[in-house]
Amino acid sequence: MARKSLRVWRWAAMLVALSVLTAGCAQGGASSGSVHLNFMVWSYGIDTIQDNIKKFQSSNPSVTVSLADTSWFNYHDTMATKFTAGGAPDVAYSSDHWLREWVSAGWIVPIDQYCPSLASYKDEWAPYALQGMTLNNHVYGLPYYADMVIFIYNDKLLKQAGFDHPPATWEELTSQAQTIKSKGISQYPIDIPMKKDDPWTIEIFYSMVYGRGGHMFDSNTNPTFAESGGPAEQTLSWLRSAYASKILDPAVFESAEPDVVKTTGSGQHVFTVLAKYNLAELNQGQHAQKGNFKMALMPGSQHSTVGFVRFYSLTKAAVSHGDAAVKASCNFLQYFGGKTDGQYKVVKRWAVEKGLGFANLPLYDDSDVSKSINAWGNVDLERQQAKTANVKEGLTRWWGTWDIYAREQIDNAVSGSSTPSQALQNMNTKWSQLKS
Amino acid sequence: MKRKLRLSRVLLVAAAILLGLVIALPFLWVVSASLQTETGIFRRPPSWLPDPVTIDNYGYVFTGKIPEAYAARGLLRSTVTQEAQYLPIGLQNSVMVATSVVLINLLLGTLAAYTFARERFRGQAAAFSFILTSRLLPGMAVAIPTYMIIRQLGLLDSKTALVLIYSAFTLPFTIWVLTLYFRSLPRDYEEAAQVDGCTRFQALRHIVLPLAAPGLAAVGAFSFLFSYDEFLFALLTTSSLNSKTVPVMIATISVNPDASYTLIAVGIVLSIIAPIILATIFRRFITSGLVSSLGRA
Amino acid sequence: MQAEIGLRPNLVRRWANGVPAHPWLTVAPVLALVALFTIFPFIYAAVTSTRQMILTLPDQTPFVGLKNYLDVLQDASARQAAVNAVVFSVVAVTAVTLLGLLVALLLNQPIRGFGILRALVLLPWAIPLVSAGIIWRLLLHGDFGAFNGLLLQLGIVHSYIPWLSSRQLALGAVIVAHVWREFPLPAILFLAGLQVIPPDVVDAATVDGAGAWQRFRYVILPLLKAPLLIVLVYETMIAVTVFDLVYVLTGGGPGSATTLFSWYAYAATFHFLNLGQGAALSFIMAAVLLLFIAIYLRLLRVGRDDT
Repeated sequence: MARKSLRVWRWAAMLVALSVLTAGCAQGGASSGSVHLNFMVWSYGIDTIQDNIKKFQSSNPSVTVSLADTSWFNYHDTMATKFTAGGAPDVAYSSDHWLREWVSAGWIVPIDQYCPSLASYKDEWAPYALQGMTLNNHVYGLPYYADMVIFIYNDKLLKQAGFDHPPATWEELTSQAQTIKSKGISQYPIDIPMKKDDPWTIEIFYSMVYGRGGHMFDSNTNPTFAESGGPAEQTLSWLRSAYASKILDPAVFESAEPDVVKTTGSGQHVFTVLAKYNLAELNQGQHAQKGNFKMALMPGSQHSTVGFVRFYSLTKAAVSHGDAAVKASCNFLQYFGGKTDGQYKVVKRWAVEKGLGFANLPLYDDSDVSKSINAWGNVDLERQQAKTANVKEGLTRWWGTWDIYAREQIDNAVSGSSTPSQALQNMNTKWSQLKS
Repeated sequence: MKRKLRLSRVLLVAAAILLGLVIALPFLWVVSASLQTETGIFRRPPSWLPDPVTIDNYGYVFTGKIPEAYAARGLLRSTVTQEAQYLPIGLQNSVMVATSVVLINLLLGTLAAYTFARERFRGQAAAFSFILTSRLLPGMAVAIPTYMIIRQLGLLDSKTALVLIYSAFTLPFTIWVLTLYFRSLPRDYEEAAQVDGCTRFQALRHIVLPLAAPGLAAVGAFSFLFSYDEFLFALLTTSSLNSKTVPVMIATISVNPDASYTLIAVGIVLSIIAPIILATIFRRFITSGLVSSLGRA
Repeated sequence: MQAEIGLRPNLVRRWANGVPAHPWLTVAPVLALVALFTIFPFIYAAVTSTRQMILTLPDQTPFVGLKNYLDVLQDASARQAAVNAVVFSVVAVTAVTLLGLLVALLLNQPIRGFGILRALVLLPWAIPLVSAGIIWRLLLHGDFGAFNGLLLQLGIVHSYIPWLSSRQLALGAVIVAHVWREFPLPAILFLAGLQVIPPDVVDAATVDGAGAWQRFRYVILPLLKAPLLIVLVYETMIAVTVFDLVYVLTGGGPGSATTLFSWYAYAATFHFLNLGQGAALSFIMAAVLLLFIAIYLRLLRVGRDDT
């Protein structure tokens, strides 16, 4: 009896010890002969990505790929933690936002150095996209997509309010919106993603400043946005008064890009500023407002906007996993960002199915692509807008950190917690702190 | 007088119903939302009862089959995240971590509490106060340095790290409750048992522990709930399926603008099943444990 | 047989046979574990806070003295976060305590069917805090929140209210979610306090002609002094460190309207990747909380003298 109970105790003790010991080492090694890649993306079109992976694996039977995604909101923070703490993927999405930070921290490696065969594609990329992936004469990515921020309006509702053309300036937008509101066509005619966790917020803000012909930084990446009465302050003041007069949706601060697409698509709003591919989303599918949405040049005197590139990058983790992993990663990048059978298969698929923009110039001559763009957009206007699209200014090692702070300040100014000039001053101060 | 009594009784029952609704309605809504299509909860006002009822969202989590309703596009821009499919693994991780913490609490906590209750030794008072005081320090105050320590130990992204941290945060409570329990038991039984030839260990096992069973149930339930619910340390130290727990997963999904709201609701429902069952079964023990720990020193 | 255990069979056998091995043997593992995650992080935070540690500059960690503390003190956002935390704590603690007390008084009534309510009360507290937070986000969302839908249906509002987007309302929304989740604990403690009050004490007051409010104010409330003090201090500590809710409900927004001190410390570390400053903030927070703990322990002693 006594002995038995002692034995029970021992078993319990061993179980505890075991559970603690085994908990830490659950990961098994990869089976021999094959290479396993971890691919990290932000959540968008996961079903499409999985299908692409399946196709890649069937033509590369020795490589297996596992996909992980996290929110576009958290992507920067999550990746920073993964790169420094472990669990970094072999290949991952990145963006021109973070190129300098990731390179200076040693998190991603030059593609032209590790996958020399891929570098030749760069002659076919739009210059701004190449610029967004190049640092110190090295190329760090293959475009996943490249696009610009555009002005979108609901043509049907605009006509219903008696206007025959979209606004050309922000002031005109204000007066059109007020008319629409007073006629009861839309309670809040304008909706713009301004949730501070959403990285789009900063690119949209830049676009609004560019539209007015303004700049955020000079050519030496010194801040110019804090100039008193300048385009940045005008933009913030415009947003503030649009919010205060309720022509801007009061829920903007909890509205991220998908929320704005959902509410605008349901006909609640007439005007918005979004990345261009959302126009495809708005004009397709099965809903009452489909086909009513059009793009217009970014309001303001110059109609300029932000062009950006999101790209596939090769990480230091792949390099540390050895040559086989690097080779498999290069094949992976080749399939996703390069040509297969003479065609940019994956890039084209994103363009045709989801309306994502592209930096791969030959695709403009592809009849499938132009046909699909014309189904939801306007190729001519798009080309015109593209001519004035600019990269984001001020991209430095610390830009990613400043961005997070800047978005919070923008929201403070628009919601009335601080004044536009105070918010811009704070952003300026933060910039100098981060730079030092 | 009698009418007044009846009126106050009606008021009391009304207040009770109100309280019940305030507690229950949020739960009921999330269950309803998880069984709807996205267009249903986007209506203004939303449809309160699922119409049509769909289990497709649950289907996605367990089989990866994308619900047909999502093909509508436009209004429902990109609605799934791979993360939702990892929820079953997250549940498994959560239960493994929580169970390990419970076992450690029952083993180490019982031994230490028994010592505190029955032995006298140098430094006893100091050790006891230290353990008790530490239980009061909220996690947030030490979370960031703890993350750095775990990083230095090379234990990031491991269940072991979570088990260690959660044990450190639950053991003080366990010891506190059990010491009180053991002290309240008369020594005579143990002494009699030892006279009868039982070892001290057997006396603890056969005499003391059965008597302290309510206390053991309380600390077990409490340490399980604490470990299962904990978010901050899990958020900081876990980064892959190897160790991510349910709260971290549903938080990530919920702040993901590209995840459908019905899918988020599914995540919540899955995350609250275990604690609700446990809290219901162990209610009396949890209540008395909390009261004896916080309320009476 | 004993050898199977492997570790120091002598000691184990002595203990098992009733000769107390050094009692420290049973206490030491616990002490070590607890110290590793309380005192040690505290010291670690103190040391780290004197260095520049930025995640994107992994190779440059010079000693910077008190710079991290000065940066925090000079930062307007940090002050804003501290103010927010104070406002949040005062309102939330008051609301949690009052609601807890009311619910306890209600549940203490001998009415049939209240047993179910007692079981129900525990549920908001039992589920993960993030789950509670997300539920409230689904309820309060400005574009499709179910609570907005309910208000619209009842004719109380004419258009959805952006609870989480409004600078004035957002903090209140976080407080509502916090109260919903936190009130069970005080309710249980107060209920336990009420149940040990001898009925004849209350009856005697009734016989003396005291009304309901007087009975509560002069008989019941003084007897609840001990749990009341404990609830106040404990809930203050919880409110000062609230984090999970902010993470899932508002992310500190709009702007910095719901940026509480703990969220600020988290953002400094994991958004701005500044570990040195995160450590400084942790140290400040822990120091403030230790003060609260000292008060708490003192009150406990008072509570014990009273009963």
